[in-house]
Order: sequence, then C-alpha cells, then structure tokens
Amino acid sequence: MEVSEDELFLLSFYRTSEINGSLFFGRLARVLRPSPIQHDLSKHFADEAAHAWYWTECIDRVGARPMKLSEAYQDQYLEAAGMPMNLMEVLAITLVFEGRVIGQYRQHAELPAVHPEVRATIERIMDDERWHLKWVREALAGLEPKYGKEQIDATLARNRAADREVYAHTLAEFESRLSFLSAPRESEA
Amino acid sequence: MAATLDEIRALMAEVLDVPASRVTDDVVLTDLVSDSFRLVEMAIELQEVYDVVLGQADLKDLRTVGQLAALVHSRIPAG
Repeated sequence: MEVSEDELFLLSFYRTSEINGSLFFGRLARVLRPSPIQHDLSKHFADEAAHAWYWTECIDRVGARPMKLSEAYQDQYLEAAGMPMNLMEVLAITLVFEGRVIGQYRQHAELPAVHPEVRATIERIMDDERWHLKWVREALAGLEPKYGKEQIDATLARNRAADREVYAHTLAEFESRLSFLSAPRESEA
Repeated sequence: MAATLDEIRALMAEVLDVPASRVTDDVVLTDLVSDSFRLVEMAIELQEVYDVVLGQADLKDLRTVGQLAALVHSRIPAG
C-alpha cells in the first residue's frame, strides 16, 4: 500500500507543523521562570519534537521523503490572530490550535484506506495531543486571577475566529491536494 | 521590583542580544530584530522580571523602545 502524492503532502505538512510547534514552545520554555507552566510547556516542546520525528519515520516507512514546505500552519495562525504578547495569550492560541490539530488528526484517521503506518502514527500522537489540551486548559484556568476570566474568554474567542479563517484559507489554498479528506468517513461508508 | 527606564532598556538589549547603545528611545522595536518572535520573548521576559502584564492590545499604541519602556515602567507595582 502506498500513500498518494496528496497524502504525502499532508504528512509533510504535519511534520513541518510539529517542527514549528516544537521550536515555538522550546523558545518559550527557555524564557519562562520555573513554575508548573514552565514544566508542562517543556514537556509540550519535547512532545512536538517527538511528533516531528514520528512523522519523519512514518514518511520513511511508507517509502517516501518529506516534502520541503516553506510555510507552516502556525505562521498563518500568528498572522491572523496576531503575535501573543503574554503567557495567557500564548496559551489561548495554543488551546485553539491544539483543538484544531486533534480534529484534523481524527478526521484523517477516520478516512477509509488510511495507510496502516499513518494510522499508527496518528494513534501514537493522539494521547499526547489530548494531554496538551488538558494541561493548557488547566493552566488558563489557573491564570484567571491574574488576567481575568473575561479577558481570557475574549482572547479565546478572537483566536477561534482566526482559527476558522486560517483553516478555511488553507483548505481553499490546497483544495486539490486536500480534497481526499472529504471522502466519506469509515463510520459513514 | 523597582526599576529605572535605563534598567528596563538594558534588559531589553540583553534579551534581544543587541548592544545597549542601539536600544534608545526613538528606535522602532521591529528595527531591532529581524525575527519578530524575539520581541515576544522580550515582552514575556519583561513581564516575568517586573511582574507586569502586557497584551496584544498594547501593541496598537507601541512602536518604539521608549514607548515600551515607559509602559512597563508605569505598570511596575509600587513598593
């Protein structure tokens, strides 16, 4: 079983996105003072780096080479949502982004005829992704006394709007490459 | 933590890894570094060191080193 050129593009997109996520969190982890957030952010950084490796391995195992992509999904995200300026804004954009990542991986895994290596890689990553959502949600709740719940909710809402815009833009930009994602789910087939 | 504007500018220079002589009030922040994420790192460092909060909303009115240093200085808790 081989992966199509379009699916290879998406796997390379995942890989690039995980690399960029790792670099983003690594730099933040370096700046923050010791705290539970620094601790979990450091684990998050390591997870993203591991996921980039898993996708590299996966692409290798299906007999392909990663495509070199110039821009990662996060670049468009930061463009649309604006650069976060404090820890709460970083975590808010992360929570929304991680929700999108989980949805995307789940959608991919449910496609009929997914290569077993791709499905295994997604399953390997999903436990980490669920933990990412959990720790970030809890950290944001812990920041309510400092930033205010209203301010956090408003930041999340702004980032969700940016997320919808970027996702729609990405689907439109790569319409032909990503059309295979619209195939009926296994549960619908 | 009390701080003078000079100390705030010195910390900015340290985090951005540029000579302190370049971090003067009229310099535009984005001219100091080519990588905009360095500015995020600097903003977070300033908040961690001086226990202040800066947000995206502040960016609308901020262009220069002097404006950022003054904003941070004005938000440092008294005492």
